[in-house]
Amino acid sequence: MTKTKTKGNSRRRSGNIGLLIPMYVFTILFVALPILYLFLLSFLQRAQVWGVDFTFTLDNYKRILEPLYLDTFWQSLKLAFTATFFVALIGYPYGYFMARMSAVWKRRMLLLIMIPFWTSALIRLYGWIIVFRSNGVLDKILMGLHLTDQPLKLLYTYPAVVVGMVYSLLPFMILAVYSSAEKLDMSLVEASRDLGASSWTAFWTVSFRLTLPGLLSGVVLSFIPSMGLFFIADILGGNKIVLVGSVIQEQITKGRNQPFAAALSAVLMVLTSVMIRLYRKITGTSQLEGML
Amino acid sequence: MKKKKWPFVYVAVITVLTYIPILLTVVYSFNTSKLTSVWEGFSLKWYRELFRDRDLGEALMNSLILAVLSCTFAVLIGTSGALGMSRRKRKTDEVVAYVSTLPIMIPEIILGMVFLSVFSLMGLPFGMVTLVIAHTTFCVPYIFTMVRARLVGMDHSLEEAALDLGATKWQVFCDVILPQILPAILSGVLLAFAMSFDDVVISIFVTGPKVNTLPVKIYTKLKTGVTPEINALATVMLIVILLCLMGAYLLGRKVKAPAGEK
Amino acid sequence: MKKKLAMLLAVTMLATLFTGCGAGGKEDKGELNLYTWDGMFPQEILDGFEKETGIRINYSNFDYDEDMLAKLEETKGGDYDLVIADDYIIELAIQEGLAQKLDTSKISTYENLNPVFMSQFYDPQNEYTVPYGAGIPLIVYDPGLTDVKITGYEDLWNPELKENVALTANYRVIDGITLKTMGESFNTEDLDVIRAAGEKLLTLAPNIRVINDNNTQDYLISGEVAAAFLYTSQVSAALQARPDLEVVYPKEGLGFGIMAGFVPSKAPNADAAYAFLDYINEPENAAECYDYIGYYCTNKAAEEYISDEMKKMIVLPEDAAEGEIVQNISQEAEDLHAEIWNQFKNACN
Repeated sequence: MTKTKTKGNSRRRSGNIGLLIPMYVFTILFVALPILYLFLLSFLQRAQVWGVDFTFTLDNYKRILEPLYLDTFWQSLKLAFTATFFVALIGYPYGYFMARMSAVWKRRMLLLIMIPFWTSALIRLYGWIIVFRSNGVLDKILMGLHLTDQPLKLLYTYPAVVVGMVYSLLPFMILAVYSSAEKLDMSLVEASRDLGASSWTAFWTVSFRLTLPGLLSGVVLSFIPSMGLFFIADILGGNKIVLVGSVIQEQITKGRNQPFAAALSAVLMVLTSVMIRLYRKITGTSQLEGML
Repeated sequence: MKKKKWPFVYVAVITVLTYIPILLTVVYSFNTSKLTSVWEGFSLKWYRELFRDRDLGEALMNSLILAVLSCTFAVLIGTSGALGMSRRKRKTDEVVAYVSTLPIMIPEIILGMVFLSVFSLMGLPFGMVTLVIAHTTFCVPYIFTMVRARLVGMDHSLEEAALDLGATKWQVFCDVILPQILPAILSGVLLAFAMSFDDVVISIFVTGPKVNTLPVKIYTKLKTGVTPEINALATVMLIVILLCLMGAYLLGRKVKAPAGEK
Repeated sequence: MKKKLAMLLAVTMLATLFTGCGAGGKEDKGELNLYTWDGMFPQEILDGFEKETGIRINYSNFDYDEDMLAKLEETKGGDYDLVIADDYIIELAIQEGLAQKLDTSKISTYENLNPVFMSQFYDPQNEYTVPYGAGIPLIVYDPGLTDVKITGYEDLWNPELKENVALTANYRVIDGITLKTMGESFNTEDLDVIRAAGEKLLTLAPNIRVINDNNTQDYLISGEVAAAFLYTSQVSAALQARPDLEVVYPKEGLGFGIMAGFVPSKAPNADAAYAFLDYINEPENAAECYDYIGYYCTNKAAEEYISDEMKKMIVLPEDAAEGEIVQNISQEAEDLHAEIWNQFKNACN
């Protein structure tokens, strides 16, 4: 065993390094460098009209500590948590059930989930406007069923934003849960049933625990983008919820303040990194389970 | 084991709900009125408008080229990276792997702005080149993580056996490794392609004067409010996607059937 | 093996695609890299120009004025031949040396322009710019949905309009109309005055249903809101769809914005830009453009060709010149505006 291993390894090692070159070069040049630039930017001063002055300052970070921006971070976190909660609530059973289907249906369902992904996200959101608007589809249905007697003002409310977020993020959760549930060894569940566990106990003690990494990675995968998905809040929420993403956008465009936008992004990046750290600590893995 | 019905009902209901906005978009693409708030009758005029629009055709072509190129590069970079990192434990690898996934964690707008500055410092000409580089950065993570996850669960005894039997590395790659990681690459490409094909914010920043992409066109059109034409476009895209996926599905069945390892 | 072949095939296909793209350009009559928002010209005008001059138009879009400024800064005023954008950003572009002086003798239709819209703060000597459309944001309301008789900005604060108002998302303009209700200027740099306006703006929050820069008129047309503060093109669109809506020229005074074209300092095809400016300012062409974009016509000679339906909306009434333009102000004042705006949005929610 040891012998073959050394042999194989030495042979593979030499090849490995060559294989790594594109990844290393590309990542350093086009990801690490821009991100370093971003951090650098966050310590600089804005120039009078456009761009930056190369003078070191901590003002951008100090400004984040103002109540307005702290509140913005809090709002974003709150919305992200709410959306992620519902995404998990709806997506977990979906992914779990999907993994129990026959091979043919699994593939069909994967396609069904992917198709919306391939059409423009913006167009899909505009579809929700047709549903929610005054005298829109939902109002007509509710009024037709005599559940309400006048149009509800559903659009441009917090729940509408949450629906939009959940809708956009659901596929990430489903795919993550699905891929971990698919690997689940059903014989374990059956064994626990045979040993007298009720189906709920069997689920909680075996299935749920084994699919937890999938659920958690789904949480991370939907939480991270939800921090930046401000256009949903703009389109379905009527622009009334101030999120970190929209403040960054506003600072880059109308505010022409790149350094402050960079500082906000840096804080956001650190926040998401902490999330991922936590995920790794809890699950003890270094891999985000199944992005498909 | 008896099968319960309600899981299927649940999955079916949720699936139908996710298709509602898309179906409405399709329905309203046939609306005579310019407004989505009223239904005035059936018409194909928005499709006529759509096919008259030369820019949209060009933008569609650009977006396809862009997505194909970015995915190709991302597959080459991501797959070779994942292969190279498999079975070694190096701190630097972990760092590079982490950094490479950052582009999907940073808000797009800031990435777009930073790319604009950095590309201009590098002296790259704005246009297809910068678009491909920018898109490749956020396509790599999808493919890299998929392939890497797949490699972790892979049985390596087969490649060792092949190597011991005197196969060249290239042969081992083509005949042993590639078939095993191909599903991972494909699912990564599915996601990456979708992301590239839908990107607005980064593209607006890094594109040049001669290259318009479809999502940017859609976005700017939605802002000025020509919605029915966009609905028509969405419908056409949906049909094309359905045809492609159906083709891929049938093709996949043909390829998969004889391979069937399990 | 088959897979390798397929891969090879894909690569070759790509390669041919690429070369096809590079060499595919028609016989060279030059090209024009036009950089502005989407939907600024009717397709007929673009086609007509290409047919008449043989110059091919590359129409590319930006989303915000500032995106355009960023792009010009990074390309050092190159890549684009003609940019059409808002007044205040043009002032900055000129300051930054990103625009070149125009040789107006190359624009034979130059004298068709309406002098009312020229010699403004961003280009007092008319050295760099040619105006293309002007806007005056106005209040439009639906008398069927509210009994409030709106005459000015102040009426938007009326408690009867609870959750019934739509606003555009330009904070300088919205903060500005609040300043106007207090009898102040849009462009005041007095931080205390701006702060006071912020306080007043917060009390508007209960009435706000939606804030959006795009298609704001739709909320009015579909009955989602009873009153809205709209850009000119949106006012035109709203009235075209619903002639029963009422337009208000607010009594506190009007806000004004001008869009104009300029040629970037290192434009690769400046002559094509001149040709285009010349073409779109032919009276009949200009009328077609303004009919289409629904902004106030900045071309005097074009006014008689504008359709009757649009005339009352986009030909500036003689007595309406009493507007004030939103200009660039000090950084502190600008930052304060952004801040009170975000506080306001938070309060609306």
